[in-house]
Amino acid sequence: MSAALEDDARAESIRMIRDSAAAVAPPGGDLSRIRGLRFKAPGHDPATFRQLGEMGWIGLRVPEAQGGAGLGLGEACALAEELGAALVPEPLIPAMLSASLLAAVGAGPLEALLAGTALPLVAWQERADTLEVPGTPDAPRKFLVNAAAATSFLLPVREADRIALYEQAGGALTLEPTQDGGTFGTLTPDLAGASRIAGDIGEALALALDEAALLTGAYLLGGMERALAMTLDYLKTRSQFGKIIGTFQALQHKAADVKMQIALTRASIEAAAATLDEGATGDLRRATVSRAKARAAESAMVVTRQCIQLHGGIGYTDDYDVGLYLRKAMVMANQYGSATLHRRRFMATSPEGEE
Amino acid sequence: MDALRIPAPTELDSLEEEHFRQVVRAFLHENYPEELRNPPKRLHWSENKPWYMTLADKGWLCPGWPKEHGGLGLSPAKQIILTEEYERYGVARTNDHGIVMLGPLVIKYGTEAQQQHFLPKILTGEHIWCQGYSEPGAGSDLAALRCEAVPDGDDYVVNGQKIWTTLATDANWIFLLVRTDKQAKKQEGISFLLVDMKTPGITVRPIINLELHDEFCEVFFDNVRVPKANLVGQLNKGWDMAKALLSFERIFLGSPRQSGYALSRLRILAERMGVFEDAEFQDRYTRLRLELEDLKALYGTFVAKLKRGESLGPDVSMLKIIQTELFQRITDTMLEIAGENAGLLEPMEGNRNLHPTGQFIQARPATIYGGSNEIQRNILSKNVLGLPG
Repeated sequence: MSAALEDDARAESIRMIRDSAAAVAPPGGDLSRIRGLRFKAPGHDPATFRQLGEMGWIGLRVPEAQGGAGLGLGEACALAEELGAALVPEPLIPAMLSASLLAAVGAGPLEALLAGTALPLVAWQERADTLEVPGTPDAPRKFLVNAAAATSFLLPVREADRIALYEQAGGALTLEPTQDGGTFGTLTPDLAGASRIAGDIGEALALALDEAALLTGAYLLGGMERALAMTLDYLKTRSQFGKIIGTFQALQHKAADVKMQIALTRASIEAAAATLDEGATGDLRRATVSRAKARAAESAMVVTRQCIQLHGGIGYTDDYDVGLYLRKAMVMANQYGSATLHRRRFMATSPEGEE
Repeated sequence: MDALRIPAPTELDSLEEEHFRQVVRAFLHENYPEELRNPPKRLHWSENKPWYMTLADKGWLCPGWPKEHGGLGLSPAKQIILTEEYERYGVARTNDHGIVMLGPLVIKYGTEAQQQHFLPKILTGEHIWCQGYSEPGAGSDLAALRCEAVPDGDDYVVNGQKIWTTLATDANWIFLLVRTDKQAKKQEGISFLLVDMKTPGITVRPIINLELHDEFCEVFFDNVRVPKANLVGQLNKGWDMAKALLSFERIFLGSPRQSGYALSRLRILAERMGVFEDAEFQDRYTRLRLELEDLKALYGTFVAKLKRGESLGPDVSMLKIIQTELFQRITDTMLEIAGENAGLLEPMEGNRNLHPTGQFIQARPATIYGGSNEIQRNILSKNVLGLPG
């Protein structure tokens, strides 16, 4: 296939993924389903999660030979973006992280996970804002998204100079509510009752976490686009001082600044997806992902804050949807590494280019 | 501090300033409920009533009112000291619209009968007031308000809607700006009306805000009959009266205390997250501290004006902008360093001092209410810099 044809085929594949996302992400922007799931355990709808499996999305990145769709990060980011625009709360990104890891080690409940009937969550964090696995096996594992729905937990555990993977069926779990209406769980590991399913997952986990970071950026990007669209609608209809407020230059410039943040985020995310799909590894992969995630995390907060401000008082009510995007950004901006962490990692891994 | 004698309320206005400050500190130490210090959300009447009644019993409820009406008769300078000490101690706001807004307006513009009827009931806590100014179509453009009062016999008949009415569910009286002349220029057809919330035709509906708190309400008026005797001041002069009243309270929106408290919490959070010593964080923290110190200095120049008995000009808008945007930058920084804790609904580890998301959300409306920062910048451009338009 010529390069041009290949590009066309790729664009078509990404367009199809975006279209298919409408199955769970209504394009009209109706968030009543999302509101109905807030602040009730587990924070999402298990039936819709199964639907994600049926759509083939959980296994989107898993090779076809292992039951997945074998698609690239371009497709995965497009999907995450669509789900972000609709604030879909089913934990697709944590599920894709688990799927990547299980596919890499060829063990564990991969088939059920891809079908959406099991949700094994990777329990890798012993503290906030880290991409490192715990130093001690019995360290509590924190920030497990909607963990009440987990069917098991996958625990990376340091063993000498390697990281092994254990699967723990259940365990002592405490839940804390999050701003978006979901929960973070904290798990107390019980390795005695867990099964060791792989002996060396360090590289696979690092790759899967990088992909999760990039997909989180894409999800945030979708939310930013939708929040701006809502804000523009408001600026075009709200009237004060006998004028549509969108005619005031102070507000026009704020909206233009928001647009630029979104444009930079999109460019960064799409470039990163393409770079990784072309096979980038090692420091290049890390630097590229960090660049995109640092941008997305920071932009998501700037954009959603500004959209609240541009709405005035109505933006501060829980009934009005724009606030839901701020809450989602609060929860997701720092997942899989904050902007600070990723800036630091970018500087450590990126060679200074010649300009 | 405990040994300091607290003089009778009537003596407070004659104390020397520093002595007065010490008296306020001792008073709070003795009387303010410890569990109500620095509440994370605006308190409802059921929560702040004990403190309101303590102030009422001790005669401290209305610092700015003249003594003959039951106030402390404090000068602006002493009122600022009092506010500074309340803020420093983390004293919660009460349902204070009667004390801060309605009382002074009735004292200035009300009839003797209105003064005798309404003022004592604020002092005893019998009347709890709320303020009905904003409407869905009249926010930044408040003078565009449409809630109307039409004369009918001895009454006005009120129809319309108010919004952002703070703590309306707690109040039994509401003061309203209403449209009484639809033909006049918009500012010149507005009157000031006092309404008993028990009057038939009033519906109050709480609004849940981003704090998931029902601090604000919508209030609906459907053929509500209000005696003409409840009009304050002259017909169609309500706008000027309400505006005159806003003069010196505007300084409090620029008080550095809110940012100061948030900055101290940022430090606690940074230490907990283990980033306080990082060079990068130190630089950001230092910037915020310097901004706060300079805000304090600027605030001080406005306070000094008030102490000299001068009134404040439109340049006081600077304080509101600088303070609220600093407050937001501090809380933005909290989320940036909190990692995944930036998504929690409740305080971290059950510790009220580690509640970055609560502070972040609380900081959001600060640039919207009390005249949005866009409106404040318009005021600066036109009335201070003299730019056209």
